[in-house]
Amino acid sequence: MYLLLDIFGYLSVVLRGLILIAQSFTLGGLAFQLLLWGPLQPRLSVYGLTIEERCRAFLRFSAFALALLTVASLALNAAALVGTLQVPWSEAVSADFGRADIVIAACALGIAILANGPAHRLRSAALLALSVLALAMQTRLTHAASRPDVRWPLLLSDAGHMAGAAVWIGGLPYFLIALNGCKDAGDWRLIARRYSLMSMAAVAAIVCGGLVMAANYIGSVAAIYGTAYGVMTLAKLGLLLMLLMLGAGNYFLVERLRRDPTTPILRLKRFAEVEIGIGLTVLLAAASLTSLPPGVDLPRDRLAWHEIVERATPQWPPRLTSPDYDKLTVAQLQAKITLADAGRANAQAAYVPGEGTILPRNAEDIAWSEYNHHWAGVFVVLIGLLALVEHFRWGRWARHWPLLFLAMAAFLFFRADEQAWPLGPAGFFESLRDPEVAQHRIFVLLIAVFGLFEWRVRLRGSKAGPAALVFPLTTALGGALLLTHSHAIANIKDQLLIEMSHTPLALCGVAAGWARWLELRLDGRVSRAAAWIWPVAFILVGLILLDYREA
Amino acid sequence: MRAFFRIAFVLSALWFLAHPNASQAHAIIVSSSPAAGATVSGDTVAIRLHFNSRIDRARSKLTLLAPDGAARALTPASDAPADELNADATRLPAGAWHLRWQVLSVDGHITRGDIPFTVH
Ligand SMILES: [Cu+2]
Repeated sequence: MYLLLDIFGYLSVVLRGLILIAQSFTLGGLAFQLLLWGPLQPRLSVYGLTIEERCRAFLRFSAFALALLTVASLALNAAALVGTLQVPWSEAVSADFGRADIVIAACALGIAILANGPAHRLRSAALLALSVLALAMQTRLTHAASRPDVRWPLLLSDAGHMAGAAVWIGGLPYFLIALNGCKDAGDWRLIARRYSLMSMAAVAAIVCGGLVMAANYIGSVAAIYGTAYGVMTLAKLGLLLMLLMLGAGNYFLVERLRRDPTTPILRLKRFAEVEIGIGLTVLLAAASLTSLPPGVDLPRDRLAWHEIVERATPQWPPRLTSPDYDKLTVAQLQAKITLADAGRANAQAAYVPGEGTILPRNAEDIAWSEYNHHWAGVFVVLIGLLALVEHFRWGRWARHWPLLFLAMAAFLFFRADEQAWPLGPAGFFESLRDPEVAQHRIFVLLIAVFGLFEWRVRLRGSKAGPAALVFPLTTALGGALLLTHSHAIANIKDQLLIEMSHTPLALCGVAAGWARWLELRLDGRVSRAAAWIWPVAFILVGLILLDYREA
Repeated sequence: MRAFFRIAFVLSALWFLAHPNASQAHAIIVSSSPAAGATVSGDTVAIRLHFNSRIDRARSKLTLLAPDGAARALTPASDAPADELNADATRLPAGAWHLRWQVLSVDGHITRGDIPFTVH
């Protein structure tokens, strides 16, 4: 039970993200079937039975996943209640959220079963009813359901926001399946045109719902940068802008396709792939947003603009030596922390079970953390620079940059845990008993394997095949996971400031990963531009890491 | 048509099942009495926790931690507003106390917190 509670906070955010993803794919698949595939079918040159089968299989899979994940989330939340309140399971499951979860799971199962056959009117009506009910129940699990005041505008905005995300992001896989399955330019044009209209309507719903929620949940400019809720909303906005750029690219291509049927549609497909990736990241960010209290409710202890500026102002030199050797700066740091902690004593504390109380930190801990972050920054900047140099004819040697990952792994191995083998007093196996050390060691191993892997990819060049996609996917996934990081839910300033630096890191990671993806999967101008974008994003990541401070 | 009615019946049953009987989010405290760090007299301490969202009172709890670490469970009053958790504590010995709360908000989020206060 205690182990469960330890990971409860994080697990519930990740589960929530997966639920939002499965829900989007389910509702998006239905929207695709009812609004695009059904009406267009008679006008397409092929009957497209395989396309329909594939779409239906993906829809069924998503709906099953939604049902399973919802039940898992219900079980997790109920277990937390049973464990902390010593109430029977029946009591825990019959809470409002439990009943909503049961209905959602039942609806999802119903959709999975009903979707198992060709569309006709009755079946479509039932599917529509089930999805509306599931969506309505899902709004009961959002902030809107528990506001003390009148909530209809918020419930409707939330539903519209989720439905918009489902039609646009959730419809993308089906759109890709249809594009890949059709071979005729006329079909492509019809499908792309209709999908483009649907996604524009969806964006309108997302933006309208988002604005209503932002006005109610954030409420003021100061809360945008002063609270975790506001910062996470900014991250979502950043991702939305990336998506809109890709969407605009697609829109122009569709327009060109209308004038000139010979326009190649490779870019359309590749952009759609990237849109799926970034869309999934947005949904993960949305999940961590539902677990944060609205910024408007935290009027005290917000970050002030000058505090952010002060923290973000680069300090020279970065901390490249470990604390043992710079006692003097550590003492100054300690004075600063003591001052900050004095302000914390009377701040409102609140946390999710398992997040634990915030441990008091001392200057040594922080200095070590900064030292590690700064060295990581040095390596990442170098990687970005070498990847840029690689573009020049005189810089071919720079393509060996993945070896820097090995150097980084070696550095972390020796220096991340000062108490452990080989430099510290604790032996190798003894130190592995500390979960943090074990975690770091696994991380080091992963970096080393990753570096070797990517080096091999570089050496093999265009012959590397799908293996080359591992690097962009890992980078993008890393960025996405940073956005699900468990957060301080009360306004604890030092935690907020750390989060403040993690958000741009996440956005740069996502941008770098998907730019590299486009470089590999596309050709022509876009690919060449992407080849410059991702190293620059890497350099930015490195610079942010170099600027990282915890006090 | 029979199938349609069957579906409608199942849907309405599900809706009924999920409909909340009591009007009860990620809850955090908007204001509290005693406030964090406050000094109170120990005869009767009226505990009033006002949250930012409606809470499921039946699945929330209040615990008082005595200066020696002993825990004393409090029974939340049932007639409080939907976004409050109230209780009365009487005859508290002087010293540093903690009020530990855990609430389930109506949207299914569990939060906890700690309010330190002093009894003189
Ligand atoms: Cu970090």
